[in-house]
Amino acid sequence: MAKTRHSTPGVGLISPPPHHDIYSIEDLAQLIHDLKNANPQARIHVKLVAEVGVGTVAAGVAKAHSDVILISGHDGGTGASPLTSLKHAGAPWELGLAETQQTLLLNGLRDRVVVQADGQLKTGRDVVIAALLGAEEFGFASAPLVVMGCVMMRVCHLDTCPVGVATQNPVLRERFTGRPEFVQTFFEYIAEEVRAVQYWKASGLDLEPILHVPALPEGTSRRHVVNQDHGLDKALDNQLIALSAQALEYAEPVIAQIPVRNVNRTVGTMLGYEVTKRYGGAGLPDGTIDITLNGSAGQSFGAFVPRGITLRLLGDANDYLGKGLSGGRLIVRPDENASFDAATNVIAGNVVAYGATSGEIFLRGLAGERFCVRNSGVTAVVEGVGDHACEYMTGGRVIVLGPTGRNVAAGMSGGVTYILDLDSTVVNAEMVDVETLDETDAAFVLSSVRRHFEFTQSTVAESLLKDWDASVKRLSKIMPKDYKKVLAVSAAAEREGKDVNTAIMEAVNG
Amino acid sequence: MADPKGFLKTSRQTPPRRPVDVRIQDWKEVYQDFGNGELEQQASRCMDCGIPFCHSGCPLGNLIPEWNDLVRRQDWQSAIERLHATNNFPEFTGRLCPAPCESACVLGINADPVTIKQVEVEIIDRAWDEGWVVPQLPDRLSGKTVAVVGSGPAGLAAAQQLSRAGHTVAVYERADRIGGLLRYGIPEFKMEKHHLDRRLAQMEAEGVRFRPSSDIGESVTWPDLRARYDAIVVATGATAWRDLEVPGRELTGIMQAMEYLPWANRVQEGDMVEPPINAKGKHVIVIGGGDTGADCVGTAHRQGAASVTQLEIMPRPADQRPDEAPWPTYPMLYRVTSAHEEGGDRMFAVSTQQFIGNDEGHVTGIELIEVRMVDGRFEPVAGTERQLPADLITLAMGFAGPQAETLVTQLGVELDARGNVARDAQFMSTVDSIFVAGDAGRGQSLIVWAIAEGRAVASAVDAYLMGETNLPSPVRPTDRPLVV
Repeated sequence: MAKTRHSTPGVGLISPPPHHDIYSIEDLAQLIHDLKNANPQARIHVKLVAEVGVGTVAAGVAKAHSDVILISGHDGGTGASPLTSLKHAGAPWELGLAETQQTLLLNGLRDRVVVQADGQLKTGRDVVIAALLGAEEFGFASAPLVVMGCVMMRVCHLDTCPVGVATQNPVLRERFTGRPEFVQTFFEYIAEEVRAVQYWKASGLDLEPILHVPALPEGTSRRHVVNQDHGLDKALDNQLIALSAQALEYAEPVIAQIPVRNVNRTVGTMLGYEVTKRYGGAGLPDGTIDITLNGSAGQSFGAFVPRGITLRLLGDANDYLGKGLSGGRLIVRPDENASFDAATNVIAGNVVAYGATSGEIFLRGLAGERFCVRNSGVTAVVEGVGDHACEYMTGGRVIVLGPTGRNVAAGMSGGVTYILDLDSTVVNAEMVDVETLDETDAAFVLSSVRRHFEFTQSTVAESLLKDWDASVKRLSKIMPKDYKKVLAVSAAAEREGKDVNTAIMEAVNG
Repeated sequence: MADPKGFLKTSRQTPPRRPVDVRIQDWKEVYQDFGNGELEQQASRCMDCGIPFCHSGCPLGNLIPEWNDLVRRQDWQSAIERLHATNNFPEFTGRLCPAPCESACVLGINADPVTIKQVEVEIIDRAWDEGWVVPQLPDRLSGKTVAVVGSGPAGLAAAQQLSRAGHTVAVYERADRIGGLLRYGIPEFKMEKHHLDRRLAQMEAEGVRFRPSSDIGESVTWPDLRARYDAIVVATGATAWRDLEVPGRELTGIMQAMEYLPWANRVQEGDMVEPPINAKGKHVIVIGGGDTGADCVGTAHRQGAASVTQLEIMPRPADQRPDEAPWPTYPMLYRVTSAHEEGGDRMFAVSTQQFIGNDEGHVTGIELIEVRMVDGRFEPVAGTERQLPADLITLAMGFAGPQAETLVTQLGVELDARGNVARDAQFMSTVDSIFVAGDAGRGQSLIVWAIAEGRAVASAVDAYLMGETNLPSPVRPTDRPLVV
């Protein structure tokens, strides 16, 4: 589980994951675009809570090129959901679905999206109602889980599920008695009931408003008939893919240079998709594709880029640089002719390396808010950050060689952050401690700063390296508390020749 | 929040019972308490389930995960408050209930359930020892009067609830002591009567008046009683026993369990030294494989029976939960009660052909035949007849319903199709101001259902008298135990 999530066994994660890359419909459109670039074959789903006004949101989501819109009702929720969410979030999916269907129809957007409904669907009757209200697909989760043996203990997040459904504990997994046939039979019953439902009625309800069909021009489709135009044909990556043909086909090194403008969003991501499609998660040997770009890059520069791709940007970048970075290397420095002081000017926007899992980022200059939020494996060097740096981080290394904003390391459960001249009052100490560097830390930071200088010719790095013995004393280390414990347990297990995972589970399970 | 991993660290333990050869020398309870700290360990096994199925196992709505956790944290005073919030008499249920809550415990799906009953009884025993159980007097009296007829668990629960709500309550009982089956049905070795007396003293201090030796319908007529009270709660139980109409039934030495058991209780009460019906030196046959039968077995052993044999017409139940009774239902299992541990034989799938007597008209034996179930009926297996010697035979074959003749003849109260006293959703019979609770309305059931009905009827009576009520109503008259 920890491997899949690029986190550390034995260290808790903040759940549900906060979507700090989405604060507006434009942000969402960007994320949809990024994900479509990351895998043009995939359908991009957006899940919306049914509530008053969801139709308007759905229209925006359809315009943001989501392929599927899921209307989720208030009855559902996993066993790990906070009670406040279970009890107080959302409205019935029936109402949200009706509003969505009508709003999409009125705006001529219904034909390009698939509409899905979920939220405690349990019967064929639910499916028929959802279909009548406009849904084309129907999501089931809790009911099939119960069929498999779930007793709704609501401890999915505690690893103590007594029926072995939601647990990694081998003792408890032994107790799982579900079989695939149970789920198969359940859905056969659902299908049978759907066929059997001829009509339904609910006395005392005026259903006209939710079954209302707006006046539509002739020929308007009331269901999904055409696919969204994600505009992938206009992507700069089409050129990058063409330039990288040798690398993609034969894994031979490619070096290229190309101008970039801020209309080029999600640069490098579709190239990454082509690499991953051919070479899998391992990617290509480091630096096989080395592309230098001149100019101002649009949002999501280098999102999801895998190992084997190095993108060198001479200029600056917008928000979401390195979102979901998956092994690639991103280097950003001002243009060689720039006359301003790189160390005091912003070079990348907000939410750098959101949810990134591996790779390297070197930024010669300042970055915006929420630097490395939810980072789980990337090593990033930067010369200053805004508020909420390293929020919800679960892994990786971050080196900040300059000023920080407030609320550093909020909800940070893993990874290590090194900060120059740290003002410890800005640290959110709920889950982390501020420590001094040991020898291993110092050696790691030294080599990273050297590489930062090598890649970016940073003057900040240069002056620090001049008197490293003094510089290293100015650094502080931010260490998550549980993460530290687990690292100590696994180090001890390694020393004693024990199985590391067993040792961690023993320590955590007590 | 309970310890989420308690159930993984501790396995189920129940305290040892007293050794058989010691305990059949006396009439004291066979149970013992846990040692220091062991109960807290057991309580820590409770998983504080998102959906606590123990709540659906028990009709009382006991807040089981809450007091399990309070015991785990050794907050015993809060624990008894939470326990008393839903159960007037945990010292009775903790000793006598077959614990459908434990059958419904989520841990029981694939492991041994939490020892809910043991936690319950130790909470209340400690509360009494600490002096935390004190009379709860109403702030003001309503000026309304209620007669409760019948002093078993349903009647007592109704009386305590109504008295605490400010009504003036009198409990009528046809026997010479208050308690119903708690007094003269349950042997001393299952529940020592000082537990009952202690609770009755609390109720008297709360203002409940007890009127034993009052057979309503005989010494006082129902219309007279109705004229004197604003409401009447009929909680007379299901006391019409089933009989066994086979040749020889008229022989002496053959009697109903309820004609045999009370004498042992009277000896313990100090009414007499020797019971008029005594199993000492006799070959005893108990017909009926249920709890009342087991009570006869334990009583006969303590009286020094020469042999004790318990007969049951149904085949021997399974040791493990059978498929037709899946979790969380209450399964029919082969249970070894404390009385069974003490000796005697158990025979299953046998039916009585006839009783055999001597010239003086006294029973000397019983003729049995094996039976098997064919199309829902028992059929005798030819050639399996056999005889057993018997000097004393008790019939413990269950109860058909209430003895409600005088209610019908004197008040015109209607019975339902099963012969129970009919009642509406507010527990009221077909006659205004006459309410019905417990086995009289439900048919024979468990003590937890009796107490739940007593609490619910109190709520209904309070609403009837005052127009509104704050008393809890844990069950409806139509609620039934969870079955498939």
